[in-house]
Amino acid sequence: MTTQENNDERIALLQGTLDLLILKTLVLGPCHGQGVARLIQRQSEEVFFVDHGSLYLALQRLENKKWISAKWGVSENNRKARFYSLTLKGREHLVEKTGEWRRLTRAMGLILDNSMEPNGEEA
Amino acid sequence: MFWRKRTTEDFAEEIKSHLELEADDLKREGSSEDEARWKARREFGSVRAAQERFYLKDRWEWLDKMWRDVRFGLRGLRQSPGFAVTAILTLALGMGANTAVFSVMNAVLLRSLPVNDPQSVVYVKTSGAPNRSNQTGDDWNTSFSYPVYEALRQQKDVLSEVMIYVPLSIDKVAVRIGAQPEEAEGDMVSGTFFSGLGVRLERGRGFTAQDEKDHAAITVISHNFWTREFSRDPGVLGKTMYVKGVPLTIVGVAADGFEGAEPGHSTDFWIPLQNRVELNVWGSSSDDGTTYLQQPKWWCLKMLARLAPGVSREQAAARLQGTFRTATYVGLGAPMAGETPPVLSFDEAKSFPSSDSARPLRILMAMVGLVLLIALTNVVMLLMARNSTRQREFSLRLALGARRGELLRQLLTESLLLVTVGGTLAWGFAEFATRTLARWANINSSLAPDRTVLLFTLGILVFAAVLFGLAPFRVAIAGGAELVLKTSAATSGTDAGKTRVGKIVVALQMALCVVLLVGGGLLIRTMRNLQNIPLGMRTEGLVVFGVNPQSVHSEAEQVAFFQELMRRLRVLPGVEGVTVMGNRIGSGWSSNNTAVVDGKKVEPTSDENSNVARSNNVSTDFFHTLGVPILIGREFTDADTATSQKVAVVNELFAQRFLPNQSPLGHYVGGMSKDQNIMIIGVAKNNKYTGMTEDPIPMIWYDSAQTGGGAMHVEMRVQGDPLAILPAAQKVISQLDPNVPLTQPMLQRAQFEKSIAQQLMFARLSECFGVLAVVLVATGLYGTLAYRVNMRTAEIGVRMAVGARRGQVVWMILKDSLLLTAVGVVMGVPLAMLVARALTSSLYGIKPFDGMSYLLAVVGVAVVALAASAVPAGRAASVDPLTALRTE
Repeated sequence: MTTQENNDERIALLQGTLDLLILKTLVLGPCHGQGVARLIQRQSEEVFFVDHGSLYLALQRLENKKWISAKWGVSENNRKARFYSLTLKGREHLVEKTGEWRRLTRAMGLILDNSMEPNGEEA
Repeated sequence: MFWRKRTTEDFAEEIKSHLELEADDLKREGSSEDEARWKARREFGSVRAAQERFYLKDRWEWLDKMWRDVRFGLRGLRQSPGFAVTAILTLALGMGANTAVFSVMNAVLLRSLPVNDPQSVVYVKTSGAPNRSNQTGDDWNTSFSYPVYEALRQQKDVLSEVMIYVPLSIDKVAVRIGAQPEEAEGDMVSGTFFSGLGVRLERGRGFTAQDEKDHAAITVISHNFWTREFSRDPGVLGKTMYVKGVPLTIVGVAADGFEGAEPGHSTDFWIPLQNRVELNVWGSSSDDGTTYLQQPKWWCLKMLARLAPGVSREQAAARLQGTFRTATYVGLGAPMAGETPPVLSFDEAKSFPSSDSARPLRILMAMVGLVLLIALTNVVMLLMARNSTRQREFSLRLALGARRGELLRQLLTESLLLVTVGGTLAWGFAEFATRTLARWANINSSLAPDRTVLLFTLGILVFAAVLFGLAPFRVAIAGGAELVLKTSAATSGTDAGKTRVGKIVVALQMALCVVLLVGGGLLIRTMRNLQNIPLGMRTEGLVVFGVNPQSVHSEAEQVAFFQELMRRLRVLPGVEGVTVMGNRIGSGWSSNNTAVVDGKKVEPTSDENSNVARSNNVSTDFFHTLGVPILIGREFTDADTATSQKVAVVNELFAQRFLPNQSPLGHYVGGMSKDQNIMIIGVAKNNKYTGMTEDPIPMIWYDSAQTGGGAMHVEMRVQGDPLAILPAAQKVISQLDPNVPLTQPMLQRAQFEKSIAQQLMFARLSECFGVLAVVLVATGLYGTLAYRVNMRTAEIGVRMAVGARRGQVVWMILKDSLLLTAVGVVMGVPLAMLVARALTSSLYGIKPFDGMSYLLAVVGVAVVALAASAVPAGRAASVDPLTALRTE
């Protein structure tokens, strides 16, 4: 789903995580695609790089799954843009997936922290 | 999969808006206008790639899922090859047989006459020919005299067109194109034939009223014939074709698909009505140089008509009855007192008339329908069995979050796989079976599967695919997600409802099997009876062929030709006897007249046909060659010549019926006047004439040396393989007349069997389908029983652990199948009786309720059931209780 760029310290997203990040971003309120990309990059302190092409396909996929809905609107700087918002179903999914993710990272952390590997930088 | 589609334009719009927004942000962060736009684009990557991916996404997703399902299905089938092979073969056989029989039925019964507006085309029928007339035809009710044709075609306001079509021979005629003599099927037709029917001409022209009036020496050939003999040579028009030695110019090629006016025949060429003796109707020879045109009493013309607009068949018949009656008695004088004049009627030609083969074909279709039903239920049972062992798999998948729809899609894909492979095999099998069937049934018309057949097969396939997908679905999801938690085979395997359905299906299959076995048994015994009919002669070593001398021009020359031919054939090595005859025995041909004994017409008794005698013109040595005993007197010898006393031999029945209690020798038959009188010189034992199933009928044989006749059939008795004599015989004939082929050479036995060919074919096919049904039922039964025993392994283990003996276990299993068999038989026997009653007309020498056939069928089914249960039962009983329990 994501392309890798090895020229900087940005990390390619793990498969499946983009969906979760998009949903999380939309919790704050309706937003357009470009805004979502910027938010993810900014909130991850520029660690994540979002491939824009993939982002829009992911948005479409989430829309198809009825986790988000979309409609055309006008941005704060008066540009026409397609705004996405979280549906009830999407919200439920987000809660569920967030829980899963927490358990996963906790488990990963437990193992990695206990090993000889000194540093376990995790997102 | 089926969401509301978002357009690619909308997606492109969104990307455009993204680039603008990004550029705005970048500008705010301090980039220049151009730089911002450039950066935004660079950050995005390839816009086009994104759009392509958007466009392809849903398609890919769908294909991808599908491909995954297919791969998964294939893997599953590979893991249980026994199941896969059984299911696929079962399907292929069941569907193939259906497609084949349907192809034939479609060609013979369903496909409509390929003419313009077939609804208004009718076959002209009569209740029979009038008394004192002569009749030649396929049937009693299809031939008319020339005056009737003349009269009917005047009635333009009722019948807009009347078309004659009459065969040039009962089978094929000698045709020559270039140097090679051939045989072909040809019809003589009226000038209205092509135009009236509205048959398109591929090339050239059809016939006109003028052609009919002039008896033009021209011909139109069929598309098939054009392909076969001329390789579709576009320059065929204008070429000459010799029919019975008469040169005809080819003026047209009929449209592809038009193979004549009747089903099952494939006419090769048509010629306008002729007045030449050589081209007389039905290949009849003419004694006095006249043809059907000059003989108003001869009912020999087959007719089609096109109803005038707005006239129904009934109205037309009613309005034409008067005209018809007047024309009927042209040349006959007024009807005799008490005589019922023939009645005119019209038959639909929209679809071909129900010919003799219609009924057997329908019954055959019903039989293969049953086979298909058995095959389908078999596969369903197999699938249900297989999928209930997969219940844990399904349950696990449900537990892991698979939706029911996904499971259903998976099952449908698997069923589609089975059906596709099975269907492909079935199509191949059907092609082969159709050809075999056509050969057996003597159907020459094109049987190439058309759209109707394709749709029929696809219909079955789709039905099967859906059935096979849905049937196991219930079982698959029945376990639900919780089942995976359960571990006991005892609790997961048997569900009361399911086994009940299984039992019903098995019992039903056995019932169908009983029906097929009874039907098959009756027909096979019919076949045996037919083949064992005594013919009244020895057919071993007899070979027959037709010879139609082209070079003779008078009766004397004809007689001389055949005497010389017989003389030369008799000296060939290995030849025991040679004779010639006018009507080929066993071919269905016969001459029938009211018997005249000692100058007096015999009056009919209560049975209207009791005064009819059949006759045949035969040469010296006829009875000796055929091996028919002469009971009194003698047979024809070389001493009987054209100038000596005319002589005849009659059969026993003739003597008994017309000359009872006296010696028939010296009495006269044949003519009303003295000079026509023919003296009886011998009495022969009854023997078969037209075919194998005919009842004995009074017979007179005339000496062909005294009566003459055109084409004759040569009968030879030879040592060793009779057919091996043919090349030598052909050489002898070529010495006498180079233009003459041997027409329809075959064993005399084969000629007789042609008269029961349909029954034979029917019986053989029934045998095939009966065996097929038994095999299918046996595999189905075995599969189901084995599966059920398998499911009960744990139970059996427990039983044995607590002390059940081996015999008890076996009995427990066998009891189950025997009970099912009993139910099946109870259902099957009444059904079989219904079917047998419908079969009555196809049986010979056996009653529809023949106890033996039923008993054999029941025993057959029982044996299959026992055999199919014995193996699993034995296996169950040899289960080690500990192993059985450990499988938990």
